[in-house]
This record gives sequence, structure tokens and C-alpha cells, in this order.
Amino acid sequence: MEQNSDNHDELTIKQQKEIEKEINEQFALISEKIPIEILNDEYADDPVYRQKVQDISSKYRYMRKIRPDGNCFYRAFGFTTLEYLIKNKEEFKKFRQVIEQSKAKLIELNFPQFTIDDFYDTIMEVINKVEPSDTQDVNKVLDELYKLFNEQAYSDYIVVYLRLITSGKLQEEAEFYSNFIEGNYTSLLDFCKKEVEPMYKESDHIHIIAICAALGCAVRVVYMDRGSQSEVIAHDFPDCPDNNPSVSLLYRPNHYDVLYQ
Amino acid sequence: MSCPAERRLRKELLELLTNPMPGIYIDEEKVAKNINEWIVTIEGAEKTIYEGETFQLQFSFNEKYPFDSPTVLFIGKIPVHSHIYSNGHICLSILTDDWTPALSVGAVCLSIRSMLSSATKKERPPDDMIYTRTCSKNPKKTKWFFHDDTV
Repeated sequence: MEQNSDNHDELTIKQQKEIEKEINEQFALISEKIPIEILNDEYADDPVYRQKVQDISSKYRYMRKIRPDGNCFYRAFGFTTLEYLIKNKEEFKKFRQVIEQSKAKLIELNFPQFTIDDFYDTIMEVINKVEPSDTQDVNKVLDELYKLFNEQAYSDYIVVYLRLITSGKLQEEAEFYSNFIEGNYTSLLDFCKKEVEPMYKESDHIHIIAICAALGCAVRVVYMDRGSQSEVIAHDFPDCPDNNPSVSLLYRPNHYDVLYQ
Repeated sequence: MSCPAERRLRKELLELLTNPMPGIYIDEEKVAKNINEWIVTIEGAEKTIYEGETFQLQFSFNEKYPFDSPTVLFIGKIPVHSHIYSNGHICLSILTDDWTPALSVGAVCLSIRSMLSSATKKERPPDDMIYTRTCSKNPKKTKWFFHDDTV
């Protein structure tokens, strides 16, 4: 046990806080739908990325930017999944049931009931508020969803619950998932406590596989990186031939946004 | 302080008062005055080297709780332990890097009590002198390197 004890620490943390503040002021938690061509602005002098933006524009027309705070995957996934479900009533009902059953599962896995309640209640409150009904205008419900996901208190509580569900799934099938854990972790549980449950920790394939399996959802992730091929590569979760996900995310190194056709 | 943090803290307080945890006592009067500052008394567990001793922890919460971890330190008499500095700072990963919003005051107290219980000898951290001279007053402002969480 050691710490680097000179005052650099305080400066580093101060700097981190300032960067955080800047990001918060610059980015909404979830942006409006914007034309995909906006990506060109970010890569004005970058031919490799511009070519990829061109390829993405041939497949997707709009995007939503998500605040880059390490929670972007869960926020993007949660938002766009609910957005899709609101327009698909039967699937919404099924999703609701899965969430309702998730609390008992998490408690069985030794998550503390007392704190789980808090997050579960909030996600259920959101689900109730955006449950599609015959009497309500779908666009109004979608507006409500957008509003709720941009309210930090709701939005972050949802992120926490999705993280817990992801961790729960990983633990439930620990034997399977531990084959894919790389790095310095003493166990799958250790990985969950350090890389899944804490806020602001970024997500990788294993997190996406687990949350899709837990919720019975599917997602397509389009990867845009510095690779030499001119086309972007899409990967479907879960990875099976008859899977055709209705929601898509754009991945750029360390960040996820939402894509629309 | 915004509502969600306060609502959560009141809920935790109620839970700890109605289902008290062994060896862990909340200073109700102090919390009643200010919900963002808690004093918790911890009794050394039986059959451990801290049996018969009591210590006080100070918790401070900001408006981002439970997304941000609380600031936790020992005040008054500081237990002599290889992860506890003589200024009350505690080297425990769940207080900074590994904090999750599913943890709680109760969970932190339990961790600290079990950290005390597993110690076999009373000694200060090897770098106690240099750390306590140079560190910030706030333990959350130290970038800790956790070598061993099992002790």
C-alpha cells in the first residue's frame, strides 16, 4: 500500500474535475437527432476517417451524441432500446417483465436489497412513464423519454441499474464469462466490482454481450477506427445469423453514440 | 443539496436505525442537524486485536452521492493499522476507485470493521510519516495505489 503523496495528486484531480466540468457544459447527456454528416466537421483534416464517415452516411442518416463520461454505452443502449420499444408495444411488455424479474435475481446474487430497491424503483418509474398506450401520442411519449434521459438524477439511476444487471449476468454465468476476462483480476467478481458496477467505467464486448443476454435485447455496433479498410465494420450482439438488431450504436475509440437509418 | 442525495441518505439512516448492525452506532443527534455529515462509532470486534476499543468515523457526502463516494476518515483516536494513516486517512479501494452507487454507509462500515478484524498486528503504514506530512486534508484527493485489499 502506497500512494504518490506529493501535491501532484491534488493538481491532477483538480485538472480532472475541470475537464469533467467542461465536458458537462459542452455535451447534453443525450443530444437531439442530428444529421450524420455532422461527423465530417470533426474530421475535416482526416482523410481516413472522412472516408469512413462517407461509408456510414450511406447506411445511416441520423445520430444522437451521448455525453462522453464513461457511462455512454449504458446511456445510449438504454435510451435507444426504450425508444424502439415505445414503438413496439408487445416487445415493450416483454422488456418490462424482464426488468420486473431482474430485482429478485440480483438479490439472489447477494446484491444489497436496500440499495437495489432505489435503482429498481427509479427504472420502473421511467418504464411506467413511457409505457406506450392506445390513448397517448407516441411522439409525446418519445419526448418524455428524451426529457427523462437528460435529467441527471433519472439518467444516472438507470445507468446504475443497467450496470448491476450486466454484473448480475456475468456472475450468473461466471464459468462461461471468465474465459473472456483479460487483465489483472483475481476473479470474475473482482472484474465486476472494478469494471462493471462503478460509474464512469467504460464498456467493452463482454459488457455488451452480457447485457443483451440479460435483457433479451439485440444491438448492432458499428466500429469506426483508424483501420485501413474504407468500410466501417458492424458487429451484431448477440452474434447469430438470424439476428437483425433494431437499434444501432456507433463506436469510436472509447465512446458510443446512437445511429439511425 | 439536491433532493436525490438527501432522499437516499435519509433512507440509509432509517435503515441503519431500524436494523442496527452489530458494533456500528450512528450519532443520531449529529445527523439530525446535518444529513451530509455523519459520525459513526465502530467497536473493535470480539476476539480481534481491537477488542474493547471504539473508534469514530466521519462521513461527508456531496450532492452527487451515491454516484460520488463519501469522504470517510477516522477522527479522534486513530486505530493503529497498516492501512490507516495516523491522520485518519484510510487506504481502502471502495472509498475511491471501486466505489459503486450500490454500496452504502452500512457497507463501508462493514468493510472497515472487517479490515480491522483481519489485522494480526498493530502497526502504521510504512510510509505514514511522509504521507501525513505531504497529503491533502481530503483523503479523496490522494491518488491511491492499492497493493493488497485482502489485509
